[in-house]
Amino acid sequence: MPDLRPILLVEDSPRDLELTLAALEKCQLANEIVVARDGAEALDYLTSSGAFHNRPQRDPAVVLLDLKLPKVDGLEVLERVKKDDSLKHIPIVMLTSSREEQDLVRSYELGVNAFVVKPVEFSAFFQAIQDLGVFWALLNEPPPGISSNAKN
Amino acid sequence: MQPNNQDLDLCAREPIHIPGAIQPHGALFVIRSTDGVVVQASQNVADYLGETVELGRVPSGEVAAHLEPMSQWFVTDEPFYQAVLTSEQLSLVAHRRGERVVVEVERTEIRPVDEVFGTLRSFTHRLGTQADIPKSLAAAAEFVRQLTQFDRVLVYRFDPDWNGHVVAESNGGRLPVYLDLRFPSGDIPAQARALYSVNRLRIIPNATYVPVPILSVDEPDSAPLDLSLSQLRSVSPVHLEYMRNMGTFASMSVSIIVDGAFWGLIACHSAEPHLISHATREICDFVAQSLAMRISALVRAEDAATRAALAVNTSHLLAAMTSTPDWVDGLLGASEALLAQVHAAGAAVVIDGRVRCIGSVPDEHSVMNIVEWLSKREGESHFATESLSSEMDGVDDIAGVASGVLAVSISKVHNSWLIWFRPELVRTVTWGGNPHKVIRESGRIHPRQSFDAWKELVRRQAAPWLATEEVAAQDLRAAIVGIVLRKAEELAQLSTELQRSNKELEAFSYSVSHDLRAPFRHIVGFAQLLRERETELDPKSQHYLQTISEAALSAGKLVDDLLNFSQLGRASVTKKPVDMNKLVAEVVKSVRLSALDRNIEWSIAKLPDAWGDATLIRQVWFNLIDNAVKYTRPRNPAKITIDGHVMDDIFIYNVRDNGVGFDMAYVGKLFGVFQRLQRAEDFDGTGIGLALARRIIERHNGSIKAVGEIDSGASFTFALPGPERKERALA
Repeated sequence: MPDLRPILLVEDSPRDLELTLAALEKCQLANEIVVARDGAEALDYLTSSGAFHNRPQRDPAVVLLDLKLPKVDGLEVLERVKKDDSLKHIPIVMLTSSREEQDLVRSYELGVNAFVVKPVEFSAFFQAIQDLGVFWALLNEPPPGISSNAKN
Repeated sequence: MQPNNQDLDLCAREPIHIPGAIQPHGALFVIRSTDGVVVQASQNVADYLGETVELGRVPSGEVAAHLEPMSQWFVTDEPFYQAVLTSEQLSLVAHRRGERVVVEVERTEIRPVDEVFGTLRSFTHRLGTQADIPKSLAAAAEFVRQLTQFDRVLVYRFDPDWNGHVVAESNGGRLPVYLDLRFPSGDIPAQARALYSVNRLRIIPNATYVPVPILSVDEPDSAPLDLSLSQLRSVSPVHLEYMRNMGTFASMSVSIIVDGAFWGLIACHSAEPHLISHATREICDFVAQSLAMRISALVRAEDAATRAALAVNTSHLLAAMTSTPDWVDGLLGASEALLAQVHAAGAAVVIDGRVRCIGSVPDEHSVMNIVEWLSKREGESHFATESLSSEMDGVDDIAGVASGVLAVSISKVHNSWLIWFRPELVRTVTWGGNPHKVIRESGRIHPRQSFDAWKELVRRQAAPWLATEEVAAQDLRAAIVGIVLRKAEELAQLSTELQRSNKELEAFSYSVSHDLRAPFRHIVGFAQLLRERETELDPKSQHYLQTISEAALSAGKLVDDLLNFSQLGRASVTKKPVDMNKLVAEVVKSVRLSALDRNIEWSIAKLPDAWGDATLIRQVWFNLIDNAVKYTRPRNPAKITIDGHVMDDIFIYNVRDNGVGFDMAYVGKLFGVFQRLQRAEDFDGTGIGLALARRIIERHNGSIKAVGEIDSGASFTFALPGPERKERALA
């Protein structure tokens, strides 16, 4: 698997992080999972700055972005990514506990690629995370001009 | 109703205050105040004073004795100087006219003070014991006739248009009775009325008198003498003709001035020439003034009583208006008080084009026409007429109920009015002769010849609105405007509070959404992970783990349901045609999956398409069908029937089952949040499904109801309005 892009998981809650990782593990994706614990870290990773100034020059296949984050929150991360010409092609999936319509509306206004409310039921939650992983990391075709994605 | 205006003008222009002559029942001379020289004198002055008063000379004799007192009086504020020339039995009355003194002398009888005092005391006593205005007037007329021996004494009252109305009479039988007759305003023209206010008493002892000219010394400044304050002033020949036509050869009238306003006259007539002395006339003036004070007092007392009754009525209406959410309901509910406020027969409240009436009123269309007409009158917040047809065109046909209209504006912005109506009061007015007939001859007008009663039928007129009633209308208007304004303020405040509480609720809901759902999700997730990992757990531990999962899951579902429910109140509902057959098929498919072990007989009819938000309506179907599946669990087979039809552009759907049913006694609770009619362990669910369904239906302006019977099943029916009547609530 020469060109598998990583999945960037931005999640501050350790419990959600653990559950999400367990779900991603279950679908046996080979992609590297990079974890950022807040919005600032996520932006650092995406822009190869700060602690991530040495990261490999492959942009993530997808960013699974929690909406509520300390420091810089998910909506702000989304906004910055979608306004940045060198980053806006990266798919961003908003993952949230919140079922508030206003967040959904705002996210779509800012150009989110998908919006997923984390289901309470575990099997449904697993299913959602797995679907996301498989779709965005494996099936999604990035826009032309972006280095090609490996497929299995 | 009025004589020709041109004729009136002719009469009104006659300069009656400077006739240049006097009547012959006295004599007049004018003294220059600077030197006491007589500068003017009536031609008959020698008949009364001999040679003591001559033009161009200072008076001599007994008159001369009064020059010094008169010069002292001249510098005071006293309007008159009065004296009696005892040797000649003459009364002497002087008044100022610029720098001159006008002296009038008449023959007099000497009345002892005791007699005068006794007469007045007797009168004031009689007046004081009269209970009301009509009785007081009658007492005054009676007293004046006894005192003066005139044949007929009338009390004559002016209406607002200065027509006279005979309201009291004392008649000795020699002259016709005039009681209740009306006389047109032209009978006493404006300049005469002005003069009557200044000089309260006029007398014409003989209508056939020959005027006595006033002679003057040759002076550069010989303007005609102003006789406004004179007792002897010669009157208009038209007036004398009027008197003779009327059959009266002597007359006297005394002005009744009530609170500064010319209220009416005490008018005395005699079939023969009749002279009464200056002193007696003074008593008559006193009588008229006492009467005026009595009228004023009685009017005030009546006003006070009316006001007190009105205050009670207004407060009653106020209470009625504030005790209902809509003040109009309260106002119209207190119909008796509303009509009593201004003694009307009907009333209408018009707000934003909506007419609501009580009592006897014209049809709604006519009320709106009146409102339209009222709203075009510039800046008027109050309007009153006793004859609408004389103000507004095209209202003859409603004169029966709406001749009298009293309207107050409640809101200019919303063109809102409160209007009272009075019916036509067909009545006969009897005039003292035809008021429309004025005889003109050789360039001068003559008064009418006939004073025979002339009856006129007055139509399209209601009883006039009294000043107190107009005030009452204004009072109520102020009360209403106060209430309307206060309600508007309250509403504004409520709306602010509601907005704040909505914001708080949103914040709360957001926090519940985010912070409460997550822990439940974690419990469920980790419990599941634990079960997958610990495959060797004993059955009891597995049961505990299972219970933890289920409990957390149901709590999480509850949060989801609650969020659904609260969001529904805020979210907008977008309406489109909805394929109900497709929705139901989807829902049935999904609920079947959770009941694969059950024997359910489905009976689904072809359903009409609805108009609404498909996602929300799907939720309704889901909740109803899921309930039907849930509550038929004890049945084998379970029977679930779904059908629908259209009636009057209302789309009606029904879900019926043969399940456990419910007690109709609790049907009112069925759609409440967290209202469950079954025990939780028997049937799962958060108890919010039907509340959610109802809210969805209500957001579509529809309705939902349920019918059930314990142990035999339940039937849920919901109705949605079609696109044509989408904004109308269902009955």
